[in-house]
Amino acid sequence: MGLLQCADTYRTFSGQCTECGHCTGACESLIAANMTLGDIAKSMLAAERGAHDTDEVRTRIAQNQQLIQAVRGCFFCTSCKNTCFAHNDVCDLIYHARIDFQNLGLIEREAWSSVLVDQEWDIFTAYRAIHGIGYADLTRHVQNDHHEAQHDCDVAFFPGCSLAAYGPELTREIFEAVDGLCDKATMIDHCCGSSLKSAGFFDRAEALCENNAAEIAQSGAKTLVCVCPGCANDMKVALARKGVEVEVESLASYLGKRGFTPKHPMPEGTLCLSKSCQDRDGTYLRETCAVLGIDPDTPSIFHGCCGAGGAVSAFKPERQAQQADSKLSFAPDGATVVTMCPTCTYTYAYRLMSAPRNVVNKHYTELMFDNQFDWNLVFAQLGGMWYGEYGAWLASVFA
Amino acid sequence: MKQATTTSAPVAIVGFGTAGVNAAIALRNSGYEGVIRVFSNIETLPYSPILTSYYAGGEKSYDECFPWSYDEIAELNLDVVEDGPVTKLDPADHVISTANGTYEYSKCIVATGATPMCWGFPGVDNDDYQPLVLRSMDDAERLKTALENPSCKRLLVSGASMVALKTLEAGLNHNLECTLVGINPHVLDFNALPEAAIRFEKGLRAKGVTLKLGQKIESVIRTDEGLAVTFSTGETGVYDEISVAHGMKSNIDFIEPGSLEVDRALVVDEFMRTSDPDVYAAGDVAQGTELISGEKRIVGIWKNAALQGACAGQAIACELSGTEVPESCKLPGSISTNTIAVNGTLFISAGTMDVTENRTVEVRESEDMTVVYIFEETQRGERRLVGFNITCDHDEPGGRAYDIGAMLTLRIEAGCR
Repeated sequence: MGLLQCADTYRTFSGQCTECGHCTGACESLIAANMTLGDIAKSMLAAERGAHDTDEVRTRIAQNQQLIQAVRGCFFCTSCKNTCFAHNDVCDLIYHARIDFQNLGLIEREAWSSVLVDQEWDIFTAYRAIHGIGYADLTRHVQNDHHEAQHDCDVAFFPGCSLAAYGPELTREIFEAVDGLCDKATMIDHCCGSSLKSAGFFDRAEALCENNAAEIAQSGAKTLVCVCPGCANDMKVALARKGVEVEVESLASYLGKRGFTPKHPMPEGTLCLSKSCQDRDGTYLRETCAVLGIDPDTPSIFHGCCGAGGAVSAFKPERQAQQADSKLSFAPDGATVVTMCPTCTYTYAYRLMSAPRNVVNKHYTELMFDNQFDWNLVFAQLGGMWYGEYGAWLASVFA
Repeated sequence: MKQATTTSAPVAIVGFGTAGVNAAIALRNSGYEGVIRVFSNIETLPYSPILTSYYAGGEKSYDECFPWSYDEIAELNLDVVEDGPVTKLDPADHVISTANGTYEYSKCIVATGATPMCWGFPGVDNDDYQPLVLRSMDDAERLKTALENPSCKRLLVSGASMVALKTLEAGLNHNLECTLVGINPHVLDFNALPEAAIRFEKGLRAKGVTLKLGQKIESVIRTDEGLAVTFSTGETGVYDEISVAHGMKSNIDFIEPGSLEVDRALVVDEFMRTSDPDVYAAGDVAQGTELISGEKRIVGIWKNAALQGACAGQAIACELSGTEVPESCKLPGSISTNTIAVNGTLFISAGTMDVTENRTVEVRESEDMTVVYIFEETQRGERRLVGFNITCDHDEPGGRAYDIGAMLTLRIEAGCR
């Protein structure tokens, strides 16, 4: 191995880039960096070329502000890939660049210290612990005070971090529905590790998903139901890598196929669907539309990242707000913005709190079930936990 | 895991464009440390054929047309043969011949690309005028010089394919009066269904392009006013330059008939191997599997050339090191994808445009966009997307049309798996 762990990836990518420059115009970060995707790969290789040691590589990259902007400013939304005439795989490139950035110490600790989701404490587990949110009674495959370990589950439900932490009643209601449509469901309330990947801990993210896969195998489940397309993507890969034969299905598809219908009518007025950027081929969008009973060609659909992707907020906090604004600006006054991924719902809610608009922000499960996110409560609790009796502990854990 | 490998006879790469460069990168990335002998008939660094029209149209500088720098190419540690084009490939004896020498190889990758053809162009009576074409940097240089000539005011482009349309755009960028003549009823031959093509044609007309569709050039004579053209409809026109884009021909003339399986190009398997286990092919000379039809076809696009080159390079490195070629190296096939923007009018397509009996077409029109879907009824009674066209009145990088295009392309690919 050379001085960069991922040099082969950069060489491969640079072979596939025409340097036509179309990608640059598709991305605020690339515009700011004035770089193409090929330039990123080539700049990484240039930093390595002729360098004597990793210190020299680090110094060279640290001096290249364009490169830092391009690598750290990426939401992984694939807007550049979509515009690329060759559809070159930007996510693969940037993930690898983040790995090298992490190895070289080019991503500051405060950017990731609270989202090490393979550790005991991260922002989600801390929030859940402080506010008494747990699902031990639903994790049937694990022995606990509620039950023995059960290995005859047929469905594992994977709500993802945001839903499990910030919508506990909604999570339980969904679980109940899932459970009611199969013989026995269990809950996997861990993280898929996307925040680790954003921070350049790719191996750790993969290991986390593989642990999840092992738990799913242990439960006996043959179907994994995911709420978020990103979780579904990562878990599909991990299950295949581990050789665990489990079908990964979106919640929308699972409910739709089994005849579940929304518990209340769709809201009146314009529905604007915010497609998750992890839903690369739009499958999840179509399945969500189907279960909501709406024609996918009828509502307004806006593509691209909500602003939460890639941990860009830790690099340039204002970019998350700008990105959320740019997406929300597509929704006309009075519209309901319907998100596919709970983290998008969270991000829009956070933005709407400081920059209100006349739109209603809903995760699609909120249109199907009775329980709703209470974002005022969530943000009050998120802010408040850094003070009072847990403040010092949190500060030390995430220092 | 990389394994250092060497072999007595070099790996040969014949042709050094996109496919050749990617083959070399993959060989090195896969641990091959032996000699890579490159045969190229161009004296410059490898260029990007995609960028030639931008250069001709003044949107890119000459230097910007070369995606790889000297340093990057030098890093691959290549042995470049500079004694003329390859005249013969002898698979039986593992020998490559040029006008000045013969060279042994252990494995060979043919990546010689394609040459634009002027089939059907009648020529100019009593004149040695050669129509403009567009493929190589030399072609682009000639086109640019012609378009920048102050005496050139009127450009006739014959053909309605992607290359023709990019040539047309170069002409528009030089403020020329542009006319396009195409034998088919609509532009975007074989890539668009009428509904999408019509919107694109509207965009072209709005930019002042005269379209002469369903006809061809019947004859050309040089007059004092310029090149006087008579079309098959009997109409006439006078132009200062004519560009012809009537298709491409794979560069395989140096392959002895019968020595390798050749259809329209070299027929390859999923590792880019030809009928000879030591000869591989990639790019516009390779006829690999087209995923929707399952047939062997040339999918002449940059990405395919890059992936095929990389596949061949990795497969060869594995074979020479005695390791099994991994499944991940396999390129099961590809689908055709095309994106073109002409002065702001955008067209994206992927998949097939063959509307056979078991396929249906759906058209969605909105204020600024036409989307045409081609669905196929599968034997299991399911409906899968096998092709689409998007024509959008504006070319906005990162915009909705690109997002939908990428989404639908992925959906087609998923349906092929």
